[in-house]
Amino acid sequence: MTRLLDVENLTLQFDTDEGRITAVDGVSFSLEQGEVLGLVGESGSGKSVTAKSLMKLNPGNAIYGPQTRIALHLDDGSVDIMSLRTSSELQLVRGGAISMIFQEPMASFAPAITIGKQMVEQLLIHTDMSKKQARELSIEMLARVGISDASRRFDQYAFELSGGMRQRAMIAMALSTRPRLLIADEPTTALDVTIQAQVIELMKDLVAEFGMAIIFITHDLGVIAQTADTVAVMYLGRLVERGPVREVLRSPGHPYTRGLLEALPDLEDLDRPLTPVPGDIPSPLERPSGCVFHTRCQVAIEGLCRREVPQFVDLDEHHRAACHLVARERGAA
Amino acid sequence: MLHFARFVAIRAAMAVVTLVIVSFIVFSLMELVPGDCAERYLAFKNTQGSAISVADIEAERVRLGLDKPFLTRWVIWITNAFQGDFGESCILRLNISRLLGDKFLLSLGICLTALALAYAIALPVGIISATSSSRLLNNTLRLVSYLGLALPNFLLALIIMLFATVMWGESLTGLFSKEFRDAPWSWERVADFLKHAWLPIFILGWSATAFAIQTVRALMSDEIGKLYVTAARARGVAGRRLLWRYPARHALGPIINSLGFDLNRIFNELPVVALILTLTEAGSLLIEALARSNDQQLAGAIIFLLTGSIVAVNFATDVILALTDPRVRRSILG
Repeated sequence: MTRLLDVENLTLQFDTDEGRITAVDGVSFSLEQGEVLGLVGESGSGKSVTAKSLMKLNPGNAIYGPQTRIALHLDDGSVDIMSLRTSSELQLVRGGAISMIFQEPMASFAPAITIGKQMVEQLLIHTDMSKKQARELSIEMLARVGISDASRRFDQYAFELSGGMRQRAMIAMALSTRPRLLIADEPTTALDVTIQAQVIELMKDLVAEFGMAIIFITHDLGVIAQTADTVAVMYLGRLVERGPVREVLRSPGHPYTRGLLEALPDLEDLDRPLTPVPGDIPSPLERPSGCVFHTRCQVAIEGLCRREVPQFVDLDEHHRAACHLVARERGAA
Repeated sequence: MLHFARFVAIRAAMAVVTLVIVSFIVFSLMELVPGDCAERYLAFKNTQGSAISVADIEAERVRLGLDKPFLTRWVIWITNAFQGDFGESCILRLNISRLLGDKFLLSLGICLTALALAYAIALPVGIISATSSSRLLNNTLRLVSYLGLALPNFLLALIIMLFATVMWGESLTGLFSKEFRDAPWSWERVADFLKHAWLPIFILGWSATAFAIQTVRALMSDEIGKLYVTAARARGVAGRRLLWRYPARHALGPIINSLGFDLNRIFNELPVVALILTLTEAGSLLIEALARSNDQQLAGAIIFLLTGSIVAVNFATDVILALTDPRVRRSILG
């Protein structure tokens, strides 16, 4: 396995009228080529913001921490994404080596421009194809993601396609430049369950075919279980647990991950009461001190969790969690 | 193409129906004015010294066809109006079309120019202001456009007139210099008109611009915040191409849609401005007919023409919208 991406100490704040809000706080992770990473968390956990940082796509009031390093390793050398400034430099991570698909396929196509024109536009920016070649490739990609009558669809507008078809078209567009990394921001949340399964199947096929890595953002652990190799759990801008998907889902280390799993219905035991994670996500303006989860944690250690930020401890070779309780148990063992 | 022709035909038919309904409302309003044309004309004659009897009024009523039922008179009026004949003015006893002459076209020209001016300024300024993060720029623009919205037109006109009188000893009123007032159209007359018309255009355009900047700014900010813009940025589209192809293009539809409404507002403001600047066009004639001489025939004709222009502009913007916006186009063309 070769390393594709290294994110170190990603810290991101937003300047708002109410003050400076910390959206991401010291997040570090890395990604191998071809790896599918599931980024999980409730809304407001900073997962989308983290992913958008890789394309520097956050709005103008975003302030990156000075320690933040994001390195993208490509065949012809590594790129420091944080140092990209001009729009032509940024093209590399915006639709070139990294592509992104969004939660609402309807809203992510411009309503008054045909799907084909938007696809060709992207190809003309990122490749030296002629318009004709770009058109042919786009139609080929549309057909590849399972859109029937692709050459007709090419000239249609997003509102003329069904929801599942739009997301397929979005995937076709994102993959047409052959990116090394695909960021999928809740790509199936807005779809019907049956369509959702089809789209997930399609994405799995394409990963194998194109050999790219995926960061799959979702709050749906069921989707993660089906798609991801590894999973990273975020809470209030911090990474709280990370590891291979089976290990994390079978033996979660962090109380928050456990809480997320207990909130899922169990098809084997439908009588089991669902236990939601108690409380609400605190306002980003009032970030808890110490472990950010201590205000909702039922096993928080009096005096410790409120004061000190927990460090990551190894649960297994690749499975790590940032929790004082886990550290204490490991230390005792 | 056939679908499009059908759409235009249907839309045109709808415009005509709107006009017919409007004409009914206008005609009813004319009727609501106490007294009728016969009484008013003869009362006017009375003040001139001729003695008028009740029998004279009755005879005049029959002569003008005022003894016919309301609906019949409306049908006659509307039939003639669609042929450009609005009958005679109650007081002046002149054919209204002759009386109005090019005055209505002058008014329309002034209003449309003010509207064009407003959007010529508001489009770039609104777009820049929506995309700029400069607080100074945005606050300045906000202040200027609030001034434009808050300052009544008549006050602005009076202020400018005051300044002009004090500084240059000229009040800047009227639409023509004395020698051109009743002269036939010539290049000199056009030049003279333009020399005078800039002031009403500026005053009417002032608040229209302020309003249009707010509209454009709000629409642009709204579009810029939409996901498809972020998605386009995520595909590497950047700079001016991103701005014009994505948010600006999509904000255009609602802007086109609001043109008829804007023209309506400018029309509303025209009479007061015309009165203050003593313009010899349809706006001041309307005030004259409504407020001073109670000339319901003349007032009705002008109101009908103004409404007709708004209906025409709305028809035009609908057709333009159908041509430019694929969502509308597809819903029409199937």
